[in-house]
Amino acid sequence: MQVLKNLSDALAAAVEYAGRGVVRVDARRRLPASGTLWSNDGVIVTAHHVVERDENIAIGLPDGKQVNAKLIGRDPTTDVAVLRAEAKDFVPLVFATTENLKVGNLVLALGRPGNSVQATLSIVSVLGDQWRTPLGGMIEKYLQTDVVMYPGFSGGPLINANGEIVGMNTSALARDLNVTLPTATLRRVVEALLAHGKVKRGYLGIAAQPARLPGSLKEKLGQELGLLINAVEPNSPAEKGGLVLGDTLLAVNDQPLRHFDQLLGFLAGDRIGETLAVKILRGGEAKEIKVTIGERD
Amino acid sequence: MFNILEQLSNELAEKINAAQKSVVQISNGKGALGAGTIWHADGLIVTNAHVIGKRNLKVILPDGRAHAAKLLAYDANHDIAALKIDADNLPIIKVGESRTLKSGELVFAVGHPWGVIGAVTSGIVISAGAALPEMARGRDLIAVNLRYRPGYSGGPLVNVEGQMVGINTLMTGPEVGAAVPVHIVKAFLRELRETARVDAREYVTA
Repeated sequence: MQVLKNLSDALAAAVEYAGRGVVRVDARRRLPASGTLWSNDGVIVTAHHVVERDENIAIGLPDGKQVNAKLIGRDPTTDVAVLRAEAKDFVPLVFATTENLKVGNLVLALGRPGNSVQATLSIVSVLGDQWRTPLGGMIEKYLQTDVVMYPGFSGGPLINANGEIVGMNTSALARDLNVTLPTATLRRVVEALLAHGKVKRGYLGIAAQPARLPGSLKEKLGQELGLLINAVEPNSPAEKGGLVLGDTLLAVNDQPLRHFDQLLGFLAGDRIGETLAVKILRGGEAKEIKVTIGERD
Repeated sequence: MFNILEQLSNELAEKINAAQKSVVQISNGKGALGAGTIWHADGLIVTNAHVIGKRNLKVILPDGRAHAAKLLAYDANHDIAALKIDADNLPIIKVGESRTLKSGELVFAVGHPWGVIGAVTSGIVISAGAALPEMARGRDLIAVNLRYRPGYSGGPLVNVEGQMVGINTLMTGPEVGAAVPVHIVKAFLRELRETARVDAREYVTA
């Protein structure tokens, strides 16, 4: 038996098989990125951050043809964008769950920034529980690999040894770590984008900017920065909760706030209706008020 | 389960050990510059053009014997050079097919990174051919998912059969190695044979 040759042949076969569903997504100024055929009616899933423009999106198909695509929707919180290409009768790939994946399993990342499919090999490094991205997106399972993301690989699939898709690779979710969006998250986000063109987002109805706290308060509160509210929308959840212009947000649910993204982290779609304990600074005094997360139209 | 891994590991070591017998050091007398591969038993060595010095060119065989080497020809565009040493019965590398390389295939680079003799590193073929954006600018190269370090240059890139499919040549990104495919090497040697005597000292195709 020749294990080494069989392994090498099997890897190449998995790439060839899955490569039929990997497309080039040309929607930014620099090098094109990658995407994955989602269904045979032309739906393509890719990374939000590589779709820099909403129009003039070109797709390079595995057979070398180039077609146009429309943007269906995007979810920056999970870095997913859905496109619909003007082409039909694709052979969509098999999307597997990450249930059977184990730390140490071989996986391949595929991309097609040019005409031919490209691949890199790695193993599953970490498998964990659900987590939230810095922008508040819910990810069903933490999946980290030691895959090398070449330029233009974002939006391409991570495949298992059978050539089945277990997730989408993107370089934008976590700095310096290769975190893959698992298929469960992809399916949920893609279905929401196909149905509504967007993913439900919670909202408060404020604009705010980081502000340095005065020296005496800094020591008393144990933090240097807060978020100074510079606008409150009429009839918004923030106004109803009692937030006013000039309040400084110090913490939400006991977590100190230093920048606006931390606030967005509390506003994922699945938290709409939840009441937040908001600690604010008003007239030099710290106080706590309750704000119920609303839904953005 | 585990004995498959053990078998994989043993087969890997066997193929690589076989290939290493044909890998030489290239030196300019001031120290090792890179690697080369024994192509013919009568002393024909192929390497990168960028590893050869103009003077005091030496080839050190795996058994430690040093030979003065003659530069037969080089092609700076393709970064290939052919050297000749006065020896015979040398262990030649098996030569494979680079035009049929597939994305995903396992490959191994043999060379002397940082002067470490007979080292190896493994990866897969990312893609091969002249259409690799941001990697090769139209050059026909094999892009590989492994890190070449100084000293791998000129050594062979081998496939799972232990056959040479390319010459380790350069890094095109932090994690992307590029190898000159062996079909380019064959064409270079064919041209050398047809247009010049093999011992033509100053023949240059560049």
